[in-house]
Amino acid sequence: MKPFDIPQNDYMYSGHVGCPGCGAAIAMKFALKALGEKTIIVMPACCWGVMSGSHPQTALKVPILHTAFASGAAAASGLRAALDMRGDTETTVMTWAGDGGTFDIGFQALSGAVERNEDFIYACYDNEAYMNTGVQRSSATPAGARTTTTPGKDWKRTRKKNIVEALAAHRITYAATASIAFPEDMILKFKKAKSLKGGSRFIHIFASCPTGWRMPSEMSVKIARLAVRTNLFPLYEVEEGVRYTLNYTGDRPVKDYLKLQGRFAHLTDQDMDAIQKMVDEDWKQLQKKI
Amino acid sequence: MARIERLIGRGLYQQALECLLVENPFPAVCGRVCYHPCENSCNRAGLDCAVAINGIERFLGDEALHGRIQPTVFRFPPRGKKIAVVGAGPAGLSAAYFLSLLGYGCDVFESRPEPGGVLRWGIPSYRLPEDVPAWEIRRIQSMGVQIHCNASVSADFLEDLCRSYSGVFIGAGHGKSLTMNIPGEPFALDGLDFLAGVKQGELPDVKGPVWVIGGGNTAVDVARTLARSGLGVTIAYRRTRSDMPAFEQEIEPAMAEGVRIMELVSPVRIEKQGGSYRLVLQKMKSTGEKVRGRMGAIPDGTDVFSITAGQVFTAIGAGPADLWIPPLPGDARQIPLSHCTAVVHEIPLVYGGDLTNSRKSIPDAVASGKQAAMVLDLLFTEGKHDIPEKLKAFHVGAGPSLSMEMYIGGERKERSRRVVSYGDINTDYFPPRPRVLKSSEENTAGEDVAVDEARRCFNCGICNDCDNCRVFCPEVAVVKEDGSARRIDMDYCKGCGICVVECPRCAMDLEEEPV
Ligand SMILES: Cc1ncc(C[n+]2csc(CCOP(=O)(O)OP(=O)(O)O)c2C)c(N)n1
Ligand SMILES: [Mg+2]
Repeated sequence: MKPFDIPQNDYMYSGHVGCPGCGAAIAMKFALKALGEKTIIVMPACCWGVMSGSHPQTALKVPILHTAFASGAAAASGLRAALDMRGDTETTVMTWAGDGGTFDIGFQALSGAVERNEDFIYACYDNEAYMNTGVQRSSATPAGARTTTTPGKDWKRTRKKNIVEALAAHRITYAATASIAFPEDMILKFKKAKSLKGGSRFIHIFASCPTGWRMPSEMSVKIARLAVRTNLFPLYEVEEGVRYTLNYTGDRPVKDYLKLQGRFAHLTDQDMDAIQKMVDEDWKQLQKKI
Repeated sequence: MARIERLIGRGLYQQALECLLVENPFPAVCGRVCYHPCENSCNRAGLDCAVAINGIERFLGDEALHGRIQPTVFRFPPRGKKIAVVGAGPAGLSAAYFLSLLGYGCDVFESRPEPGGVLRWGIPSYRLPEDVPAWEIRRIQSMGVQIHCNASVSADFLEDLCRSYSGVFIGAGHGKSLTMNIPGEPFALDGLDFLAGVKQGELPDVKGPVWVIGGGNTAVDVARTLARSGLGVTIAYRRTRSDMPAFEQEIEPAMAEGVRIMELVSPVRIEKQGGSYRLVLQKMKSTGEKVRGRMGAIPDGTDVFSITAGQVFTAIGAGPADLWIPPLPGDARQIPLSHCTAVVHEIPLVYGGDLTNSRKSIPDAVASGKQAAMVLDLLFTEGKHDIPEKLKAFHVGAGPSLSMEMYIGGERKERSRRVVSYGDINTDYFPPRPRVLKSSEENTAGEDVAVDEARRCFNCGICNDCDNCRVFCPEVAVVKEDGSARRIDMDYCKGCGICVVECPRCAMDLEEEPV
């Protein structure tokens, strides 16, 4: 029983300052296992910007370029150009941003870079809120969730933005979703992204956050797995914006996922049914494209 | 179990069998005749169906039997003490085996011409072919155990043993059939004698229809043996089928072979009637009250009725020969335990097997031999105090099962004592998959099937190197240096617990550090 075909090397050190059970830490670990040491990370403001350590300390074995919150994709474009001028076409440039830095404030820069088809990987680790500044809602926060800016009975009513579809509309070279609960799948996608050098590549990673989601730290991976198993966060790939591949088909009701997290604790059965409906609808839409 | 299945799953049959042989000298025998209570508590049943542990055990036992693997049995160096064992049945042979494993010399005395007890004389060969116990007994002999057959085991003989040995194990068994005390009883044939005769190749000329009185495994074995020779057979039992002490997995094939069961009838008398017999029966009814786990039955008040039988057999149970009845409880020198009773005279005497076991079965007999070996060893090395307490350190699971590996300080002793339940298993990692090994009396499972079945095992509570803990650790704090086992770097572990939850088999646990 060979478990996973997972590269043995790690490019992340112990001792980062992430919270216990941080899904974003697991995401980084897998991404770098796939990309290897010839990688430069461009990092706008986000939890990882803090976790990576302040100079002269670092949590990663690869260089990091810290940038302003809005400019992850723009800085990466510049870095790529600089490397090319030096004749280094080998090094992979990867923007590593949170959902706030991707779906909201960084979206303009991302859209522009992808439209120019800049040669880089943009990885968004999605913990579904602005976690570093204390759990404010973002456009990646799912319907039903409570955050500090959607508190009490004013929990978020609108849908989560579908970022992969938005990027598919740009006819991006490669876009894929990945989950920290499916290491093999995620590593393969990063390897594939690395190999598709020449154009823009986007990977949307589901990365649970025990602190912000109000759930026990040990459930981090289990809950991420449930998001996939309930079809709430489908694993799929899109090439050139049109060729879809579905990687997994779920078999569980979305309730199983929702009821394990404090951020959904206020939902009634009816609310959960409504969310189930949304999930079913999105799933149907996705299947039409496969 | 989990470790044995893991080893088989990797094709390491030799190590798997060596593991098993520390706990059971009779894998090929038990793989055929054990009623496998282990499968009833197998966690996999919570997901789809228990692992076919019994069939896998048989596969492993037979690998050795056919010479495909040559396991070495662990043994302590000799201690210079000799133990006498009375009775070469499964209990006596197990006691001798485990004692010799612990470094004691053993002489086994058997009154019959060949060793094996019920394995040799009581179990029909379609369930247990003669060569199987014979082979496993030879393995015990090869460890230096001396078996003396045709021994006349009398009271004087027992006294002699007490003078010339350091200890005695008495596993003389229940070989004396109980009687019904009804008129015409001598017309009936004794079930145990019949089975022993068949094992020697003497099939008496029996005429049908046959009636077998009783409800235990012997009654069912007699009935099946006769049904297989083409006779019509009915078992007459005084309670209902669900109260029959015979194991369900024996009753079912018996019925499939055409054996009928008449419930709630008790024999009144047997009369000769020309070439056949008239068996008079009384209809019974349930009292509605359970006595020692079984429903009581009394005559239902109606008249008796009779049937005509070509032959009547009795198999209503057996008891010990008078010489071997253990002393009554209350004696201060006695140490009563789950599977044996030790009596400390000038030298220790341990009664075991059917003489003391509440369930008369092969696995219980093996358990008795194992417990007795531990008790004798404890008596010699640490004295007679607190033996039941001391034995608790070697228990596995929630029941009375003892582990010899733990007793001798093996790897297992280091393992958590926690009994893993189905709820502790992370079933995300186990898609349902039905049993691949289907039990069959005739055939031992092939290698492919046994390995595939063993891989269904969750490996509850033991690491099988799946590496999940290391893969998912957000802190890169589960480390594995080349060639060595995984360890947790406590300087960096934040105690998130992901490794514990993502361990599919509950081989990890999170404990709060005492402050
Ligand atoms: C222009 C600007 N506005 C606000 C901030 C403060 N800020 C730093 S990190 C952060 C939240 C980032 O959220 P997200 O991108 O989702 O990453 P996460 O912290 O959740 O990992 C904010 C609002 C900033 N650094 N720059
Ligand atoms: Mg975020």
